[in-house]
Amino acid sequence: MAFLLFSLFFCAVFYLHFSMAHRAWRKIKGRESAELDMGYVRMEDYFGQSFRAKLAVWIKTLPRATNSSTGLRVFDKGNERIFVAGGAQYPAGRKEREILVIEGDFACGRDCDFEKEVMVKGNCAIGPDTQMQALAVDGTLHLGQGSRVRRWADAVKHLTVGQDTVVASRVTSRTSIEFLPGAQALSLFAPEVFTEGRHENELQIEVAPASVAQLPHLDKDAKAMHGYDPAKLFSMGGNTFLYNGDLHLTAPLHLRAPFVVRGNFSCPKESLLEADVKAYGSIAIGAASVVKGNLTAGRDIILKPNTYFQGLLHAGAAMRLSRGVRGLRDKLPVAAYAAGVMTVESNVVVNGKLASAQRVVAVSTPVAWLEGARA
Amino acid sequence: MAVTLLIGISYVIIGFAVAFLLLYAIRHYYLGYSRLRIEHPKDSMELVGFYMPRVTVLIPMHNEERVAADILKALVDSDYDWEKLEVIPINDRSEDKTQEIIDGFSKRYPFIQPLHRTGGPSGKPAALVEACERATGEILVMFDADYVPGRAVIKMLVTPFADPEVGASMGRVVPHNIGGSLLSGLLSLERSAGYQGVQQSRFNLGFTAQFGGTVGAVRAAALESVGGWNPQSLTEDTDLTFALLLNGWKTAYVNRAECYEEVPQTWAVRRRQLSRWVTGHTECLHNYWPDLMRSRFLTRWEKVDALFLLAMYWTAPMLVLGWVASLLLFFIPEAHQTPWLPVALAFLGYQLFSNQATFLEIGVASMLDGTRIRSLLLPLNLLNFFANTGAICNALRKFYWNRVWGSGGDGWYKTHRTRGASGDGSAFGGGAGAAVATRSTTGLYHARTQRD
Repeated sequence: MAFLLFSLFFCAVFYLHFSMAHRAWRKIKGRESAELDMGYVRMEDYFGQSFRAKLAVWIKTLPRATNSSTGLRVFDKGNERIFVAGGAQYPAGRKEREILVIEGDFACGRDCDFEKEVMVKGNCAIGPDTQMQALAVDGTLHLGQGSRVRRWADAVKHLTVGQDTVVASRVTSRTSIEFLPGAQALSLFAPEVFTEGRHENELQIEVAPASVAQLPHLDKDAKAMHGYDPAKLFSMGGNTFLYNGDLHLTAPLHLRAPFVVRGNFSCPKESLLEADVKAYGSIAIGAASVVKGNLTAGRDIILKPNTYFQGLLHAGAAMRLSRGVRGLRDKLPVAAYAAGVMTVESNVVVNGKLASAQRVVAVSTPVAWLEGARA
Repeated sequence: MAVTLLIGISYVIIGFAVAFLLLYAIRHYYLGYSRLRIEHPKDSMELVGFYMPRVTVLIPMHNEERVAADILKALVDSDYDWEKLEVIPINDRSEDKTQEIIDGFSKRYPFIQPLHRTGGPSGKPAALVEACERATGEILVMFDADYVPGRAVIKMLVTPFADPEVGASMGRVVPHNIGGSLLSGLLSLERSAGYQGVQQSRFNLGFTAQFGGTVGAVRAAALESVGGWNPQSLTEDTDLTFALLLNGWKTAYVNRAECYEEVPQTWAVRRRQLSRWVTGHTECLHNYWPDLMRSRFLTRWEKVDALFLLAMYWTAPMLVLGWVASLLLFFIPEAHQTPWLPVALAFLGYQLFSNQATFLEIGVASMLDGTRIRSLLLPLNLLNFFANTGAICNALRKFYWNRVWGSGGDGWYKTHRTRGASGDGSAFGGGAGAAVATRSTTGLYHARTQRD
């Protein structure tokens, strides 16, 4: 009896096993996959532009609510409503639960709360400690101190992310972004992204290099010098070289070929890196250096004061862009990405993008750091 | 005496097969588990569009009139800067309208520079060797003629080359004809597990991804440093992966660089495709394993992973040998039965069904892709398992026979296309997304498209 029951159970499971599979196959049969969006193109300001496009369609197609009054058009969008006004100024502490479209300028006082997206066609000033959902602005945008944006912020003209303001996702502008101390965002993208004090004089470091380490230096018989051991250098072919171990140079470096370091890498101030560098560990580039290639690190990347970079920076952990760092090049914008926290000090200007998987944070440069850099 | 010897040999074979398959099972479970566990897979998507070196796209074609226009139209629609783009369709002695189609595109778009081959050795590797001599790009991007790349795929494939250690990058292929036949439905599961699961997982763990020869890119300098394509190899892609690896170059995997492909719809086509892969792969195993073990560029775990990858087709004959030994023991009355060995063998063998993808990997990939219905096909994969096991064993038998007796092996075989000819490049909406706005060199801002 037990055997019979077991056999029945086994047959039932066996049947179910294949009948479900057969049913799934019948659903798929004759179909073609539609998983991929063939027209997908990565756009940095996608959220802002997509919202604008959807809003334009909604306003054109949605029914206008009956309680619309003069100066304020109201559209019903399912459970939500869209308020359209010519221009507005909200007092402090005002709460708004609907999608807001302002066709002129917009300003709000301290401590307001916007539960839904806001679109402003003029200029926009958000008061301190205000909570926002997301914000698309066709003019300038100022996010007041301590305000919080739960999603993204996009402006066509200049955008200021005030002190201690947090944007949970992306900040984009077609003109420039000012990122004040204490501000945080997941990424920032604009033709010019800068932190406070960008117009102050640059740090002057006037130390003439005593000697320069030329890399790659392929003479295997050469003695180890400036922290570099020729015995650890291997050619990968294709004019690319691999250094097996940590490399901490003590003399300014002139790098002329792509270089992979299986360890940590650092070079002193006033180095010139004309090619790409990868380090399995961390990369530290000395002050007033010029980085023409791309930097890839398995762990941290630190660019010390007044360093110029002209390519991509990719850190597997944290990244620090010190005071006076500049990121720019012809034609293409530059980009820096850190899988950990990216810290950006004062007077940093980057023509392009700063992004992190955790957060990009602007900080005031500590005085101790500056003194260390001067020394 | 003879019976005792037979019993002893059978136990050794079963024990060895179980141990061998167990190692693979552990590997696959670890890869599947790690893919699920990692919150932020390794990728360079945030940097896409900020690194735009000069690129040459190579498309080997032989009698491709049904599909040639689709891929060329897709490349014309690509968001890569035309000034930095060169497309070389390699017409390898086509006897249909392939040449006419290519020349039509070439007249309209100056960056399309066709290569019409009329002599020399045939086959994809030989065609690539000749085309590479003309290519002017720093990065060479490869597509098979039946593939249709999305607009952003080239940018995605070249971004990893900002890392000077990357010698090649590999995108993801997604079967389009999932409902064409039961086989293509099952192969879609296998591809999903292979790319979304195994490739991404291995890349996350710091191992080199496998270059697949299509929807992939290679650094021209790195290719030159390893002596170029191996025209003798049946799997020039696997050959290149390991030639690069031996010189310290890594292959990056870009999961988001997705491209539709057409998978075989009949078992006969599948068997021939698999046979080529098995032969080429095992050839690479024999060519490269001593150098891999001695390599100063690789860590111990990288060597182990590389060996696992190269020897993966051995799982099928190991399983069959184990089955045969189990049957022998069953029919020999003197044999003292220890049932756990054959049971373990059956279990491990079933775990490695399909093209070496496990239940867990297929499940993980289906979950990440959101294709739940397709994962219900899993039980039917049993058919695929038996068919694959047979095809792999047969291919290996031929390979080792040829190796021992020195007779010629299988030649290069082009997978049969079933897609209907659109002729206007409109397959998969290829032409629908063409940008209306003036093409920008950066292309980082939202551009108006016809879809908008």
